[in-house]
Amino acid sequence: MNGRSLRRLVRLNLSRERRASVSSVFGVGVGIASLVFFVALGLGVGRVVREQVFPVDASLVEVVPSQLSLGLLGGKLDQAAVDRLAALPGVEAAYRKMSVRVPAVSFYDGDFFGRRLRMGIEVLAVGVDPDFVKQDVQLGDFGDPGEGKPIPAVAATRLIEIYNKSFAQSRGLPQLSATMLTGFTFPVDWNRSFVAEVKPGPMTRGQLQVVGVSDRGLLAGVVIPLDAARRINRASGVDAATFTGVALKAVEPSKVPGIVEGVKAMGLRVDDQERRMAENAGAAVAITTSAMALLSLLICVLAAFNIAHALSASVRARERELGVMRAVGASRRDVFGLVMAEASVLGLFGGAGGTLLALAAASGVDMLAARVLPEFPFKPDSFFVVPPWLVAGGVALGVLAAVAGAFLPARRASAIDPARVLAGQVG
Amino acid sequence: MISARGLCRSYDDGERGQVRVLDDVSFDVQPGEFVAVVGRSGSGKSTLLHVLGGLDTGYRGEVSVAGTALSGLSDAALARFRNEQVGFVFQSFHLVQGLSARDNVALPSFFSPVPPVDAEARAIEALARVGLEGKAERLPSQLSGGERQRVAIARALFARPKVLLCDEPTGNLDAATSEQVVALFTELNKGGLTVLAVTHEDRLRRAASRVLTLVEGKLS
Repeated sequence: MNGRSLRRLVRLNLSRERRASVSSVFGVGVGIASLVFFVALGLGVGRVVREQVFPVDASLVEVVPSQLSLGLLGGKLDQAAVDRLAALPGVEAAYRKMSVRVPAVSFYDGDFFGRRLRMGIEVLAVGVDPDFVKQDVQLGDFGDPGEGKPIPAVAATRLIEIYNKSFAQSRGLPQLSATMLTGFTFPVDWNRSFVAEVKPGPMTRGQLQVVGVSDRGLLAGVVIPLDAARRINRASGVDAATFTGVALKAVEPSKVPGIVEGVKAMGLRVDDQERRMAENAGAAVAITTSAMALLSLLICVLAAFNIAHALSASVRARERELGVMRAVGASRRDVFGLVMAEASVLGLFGGAGGTLLALAAASGVDMLAARVLPEFPFKPDSFFVVPPWLVAGGVALGVLAAVAGAFLPARRASAIDPARVLAGQVG
Repeated sequence: MISARGLCRSYDDGERGQVRVLDDVSFDVQPGEFVAVVGRSGSGKSTLLHVLGGLDTGYRGEVSVAGTALSGLSDAALARFRNEQVGFVFQSFHLVQGLSARDNVALPSFFSPVPPVDAEARAIEALARVGLEGKAERLPSQLSGGERQRVAIARALFARPKVLLCDEPTGNLDAATSEQVVALFTELNKGGLTVLAVTHEDRLRRAASRVLTLVEGKLS
C-alpha cells in the first residue's frame, strides 16, 4: 500500500471512531505526560544535588592520613608521602592541604555591604596549593603575602548560597555575590576561640581578604594559600610539616579506582564522605524518580491495553470492510500495516500531546514554586531538566505503547478470512 | 480464461464433521463468456467463486484464471492477482462507509503496487460506465441500493480486469433495478469482459450464455 492511500485510510478510520480514538490518545497522553514529568523532575533535582549541594569532582580523590600510625609503613602525610602519591599511575596532579591547626575567630564591627554589622564568628581555614583553586581566584596570585598583610581567602560557593538563602534573610543582611565579596577584608584572631581549647602558643592577629568563590572551597570555612597556613601553624607552635590532606587529580575518572587502591596500599585513607553523601542523595532522588516513572510506565501499559481493546472492537466492527479490501487487492501485510499505522498515529498524538502536557506542567510548577515557595538554599530556577532525548523518548514511547497494544488486533485483522466475512454464509 | 480441474473443498462443521462443499469440480470458461452458476443454498456456489477469485485457498485441485495458476501462490501474489486480474461484485455491495463513490471505486488503487497516476480519472470513467458520473462525490449512505450496487460494479471494473466474478449481484435489488444491473452485465460482456455470476435469479440466468448447475458440490 502506498503512503498516500495509507494516510487516507488511517484518517478515515480514526475520524469514524473519534470517541475511541480520543480515549486512546488520552490514555497514552496521561501515561507519557506523567513519565516525562517525573523523569524531568528527577533529572532536575539530581542536577541540583550533583552540581550545587554536593559538587563532587569525579576525578578527584581526597587522601587523608590514616587514623592509626603505621610507623615506617606509612599513615603520615608528609612531603615524601605526597611525592609517592603524585607518582601513582593515573595521577595528574597532587594538591597538598594543611588545616590551620589552631582555632580562629573573627570579630567584625563595621559596614557590611551597606549594613552595620557587629558579630563574632569561629573561622576554619585550610591551606591549599594555589593551583587547586587558581581558576576561581579573581584577585592577586593566591600566594602567602607574608606577616602583617591580608591573607587571600577563597570562600565556598555553597557557603554563599546558604548565607544568601537562610542566614542573610533571617538576619536582614544583604544578599552577596562572588563579585561583591571579592576584595572584602575581615579581621581574624589566630589561636583564639569561643568554644574550643586554644593551643599553648601565642594568639596572633591578622586579616583575611576574599579573593574568589569556588566549588572547591571549604563548606564551613575558607581556603587560604598553603604557605600562609604553614606560617600560622609555625607561629602558633603546632605541626607545620605534615599535611592534613592531599587532593589527587586523576587523568580521567576511570583511573580513580586504581588510585584509591594505591592510596590504601600506602596505608593512607580516602575521605569519600562527601562523595558518599552525594551518592546517597543521588540514589534517593533516582529511587524516587524510578518509582514514579514505574508508575507512569504502568499507566502506559494500561493505555496499551486500552488501545488493544479499542482496536480489537474496531477490527471486529470492520471485518467486512477489511474483507473487501482483501478482495480488491490488500494483502495480509497491508491489513496488518493499516491497523498498526492507525495505532502509530494514536501513539504519536498521545506521545506528543503527553510530552507537551508534561512540559506545560513543569513550567507551571516552576512558576508556582517561584511565587509560593520561600527562598531556601540551592533552590533552583527550574526543578526540571528536559533534554532532547526525553522529548524524543516520550513521543517514541507513546508510539511504542500504542503499537504494542495494536499488535494482536492487527494480527487478528490480517488473519481475517475474506471468503467467510464477505459471504456471510457458505453456499 | 478460467480453468478448474478436480476442485475439492471441505469445511470442518463441528457436529457434522468434515462437510464437502465442492466435490471434484472441473470446467472451463472461454474468454468473453457469460456464465451463470446456479444451485440451491449450500450447494457450493459462493465457495466456487471465492476459490476462482483467490479469496479461498483451502482447496485441492488446479485453478487457472486469466492465465494465472492460483495453486501455491503466496498471499502477496494472490493479492496482486485480485488487484489486477479479477473484479468482485457482492450481493451486499460492501462499500466503505466514509469514502465517496469515486474513492470507493478507486479503492483497488489504494493497494496497487503501482497505483495508476490517473486513478481519479479512471474512477470517474468507471462510474460513467455504470451511469453514475454525476454522483462521484456522494457517500454510500447518500445513494440508493441500485446506485450502491452500480458503484460496486464500477469498483470491480476499475482495474480493467479480465474476469468479473459476481456473487448474487441482484440479490438485494428490486426488480427494476435488478433488470438494469443485468443489462449492465450483458453490455459489459458484449464489450469482451468474461463474466461468471453466482445467482438464484432467473433474469440473470437467462442473460448468461451458459449455465453451470451445482448440486451438493458437484457440477451436474
